[in-house]
Amino acid sequence: MLAPKAMCKVTILGHKDVLENTIEAIHTINNVHIQEFIEADGYCKIGKPLAGAADHSKKLVKLRSMMNFFGIKKSAPTKTSHVDTLESELDERLDKLDSEVTQITAEKSALEAEIISLTQIVSELTPISNIPLDLGLYHGYEFISVLVGRVGRHTEAEISTTLNAVTRDFEIFMDNGVIALFVKNELVGACAEKLAGFGFEEIQIPSLEGNPKDIIDSSSKRINVINHELVAHNADIESMKAQYIDFVLASEEMLSIDIQKAEAPLYFATTEHTFTIEGWVPENEYHDVENAVAKATNNRAYVIMDKVGKKDGNKVPVEYNNPKITQPLQEILNLYARPRYFEIDPTSIIFITFPLFYGMILGDIGYAMILLGLVFGLKKLIKSEAAKPLLNVLMYCQISTLIFGVLYGEFLGFPLASLHEEPGLIPGFATINLFSGLAGEMVTFPVHRTHLIMTLMVFTALIGVIHINLGYLLGFINESRKHGTTAAIFEKGSWFAIEIAIVLIVLGALGTIPLSIGVVAFVIAFVMLVKGEGIRGPIELPALLSNSLSYTRILAVGLSSIYIASTVNLIAFKMLMPEKFGVLSIVAIIVFIAGHTLNTVLSIIAPGLHSLRLQYVEFFTKFYEGGGKKYNPFGYKRIYTEE
Amino acid sequence: MVDTAAFVMMDPAGLKAIGAGLAVGLTGLASGIAEKDIGTAAIGAMAEKEELFGKGLILTVIPETIVIFGLVVALLIK
Repeated sequence: MLAPKAMCKVTILGHKDVLENTIEAIHTINNVHIQEFIEADGYCKIGKPLAGAADHSKKLVKLRSMMNFFGIKKSAPTKTSHVDTLESELDERLDKLDSEVTQITAEKSALEAEIISLTQIVSELTPISNIPLDLGLYHGYEFISVLVGRVGRHTEAEISTTLNAVTRDFEIFMDNGVIALFVKNELVGACAEKLAGFGFEEIQIPSLEGNPKDIIDSSSKRINVINHELVAHNADIESMKAQYIDFVLASEEMLSIDIQKAEAPLYFATTEHTFTIEGWVPENEYHDVENAVAKATNNRAYVIMDKVGKKDGNKVPVEYNNPKITQPLQEILNLYARPRYFEIDPTSIIFITFPLFYGMILGDIGYAMILLGLVFGLKKLIKSEAAKPLLNVLMYCQISTLIFGVLYGEFLGFPLASLHEEPGLIPGFATINLFSGLAGEMVTFPVHRTHLIMTLMVFTALIGVIHINLGYLLGFINESRKHGTTAAIFEKGSWFAIEIAIVLIVLGALGTIPLSIGVVAFVIAFVMLVKGEGIRGPIELPALLSNSLSYTRILAVGLSSIYIASTVNLIAFKMLMPEKFGVLSIVAIIVFIAGHTLNTVLSIIAPGLHSLRLQYVEFFTKFYEGGGKKYNPFGYKRIYTEE
Repeated sequence: MVDTAAFVMMDPAGLKAIGAGLAVGLTGLASGIAEKDIGTAAIGAMAEKEELFGKGLILTVIPETIVIFGLVVALLIK
């Protein structure tokens, strides 16, 4: 429970004749995490891919481009295809699909290109559409030049007058700020200069024949027709997609698997005639590997098992080994880092502490109910595997919140029990005094957090001390596994010694024991710390205090949540709610709902983050290193195909 | 003499409240200023390498201790 799954090292040796069968066998059982062979100057070389890898890759690239073209996403399969039938018809169907797709894309892009050129013609012709000239009249002259362009808000008369200064031999056609000027070649420069005074911008006339208006009309009609054709093409593509989706997904999966197998030798060490596969297998599944390889190769490959040793260190892949109930917390661990193989896996510990702190912070029956409802609703709605663990973690947190809500007697910021003169939500439920706490406060049931600040502050800091010491204890175990007990005593045990020394000094200061005992103890502990942790130890000494005080956030964040809730209640019921039902009552209800919605959202974020932080920063730094490799066995979980 | 009289008129409870407010407010600002730089850097690092979330979070929240101290002081003043 506190350790990852026990692994063992497996080495498979054989002649290259049985390489393919061996790969097939370990791929099928899907539990060997292959250790990549790194080529050094030694005798062994990295293996070469099996025959067919290149061909498969080519087909796979084609298939993936099809998936891209059709916009096919990997989704739940509607049916599975048999590998043999798929393989026999793959080439034929792929070629057919390829030619169909090529044809339809060619047609589509031709149509799209036509639309672009037609749209351009329309936009070029629109400015001169009202000038009563055929397009043929704009070009083809030997001695006359034509200037067409925009001149803004000037009249034909104005322009004519100005041009008269150059020549009287010209002809102007003008419509809506667009001018067409016909003038002799040698005068065109001078005229253009004059026109520039009117802000002339030239327009290019396409070299076509016919009436511009007619051309625009016919082009627009053609664009409409093409758009309809494109819609039809898209419908064709959709129907092709529907027809081929199963085939594409299944063959993509089949080819991926084939390539995975074909390229596996790239991870193996090989000589001219032999191969060696090194990998990791869960200890209890080792015999499956042995049997599978023996069966597939007719006992022609050797399978050797080795125990995992210290020297394997971080090479060993890590697979969690937790009961189902604590598994969702693995996500929280993954967010930080996967544990190393020889390290304690703290999933089961944060299964308790994470919801515990969350509940202590929030502790409200009302919010717990709302959020529990939300979690169950989301669980029904969201089917994705990725969201499941997080929803489960949220559910654990709400159960804890509910328990602490009962303990605190809070419902949406209202106290359930009456205290002194303040009435509670439940009539007749009075707070019971239990025993006196610190600074003249009284510990009661239910616990009124707002009236117990000093006591709870010290209490939460004490929880911190316990949590931190648990961290040091785990650190001690980790360290003694890694570097032996002596190192662990100096590195982590010294922290316990420091704490004991501090207690002794406090007792000395109170006069219970001589102060010198405490001081001597502290000096010894300090020397141990410097020896164990080096210069880092003394630097981190004040962290002992700041880390424990950090746990007072359990109280502080909780209080802020209470105050927000009770402020909302105060505004809604004491300030807004009138004696008789009226418009103001509706406003009060809106304030109540909106305020508590806001606080509900905050209730997920604030306690969640702070509880998480207490695990990551205060707890994990005492023992946890992380950075283990994920156990990723060589194999494939078939979804769209079957053998 | 006038000064002393004005001094006496100030409500000790009010001064305590101001002190507590200053303790939380100023330490809050300090934490915020410290965390913003680390936070931006952490997000930058996470954009490059997502696995750094845990480490980034730890580094980002280290200055938060400042405001916790402020809060403790504020509660003690009360």
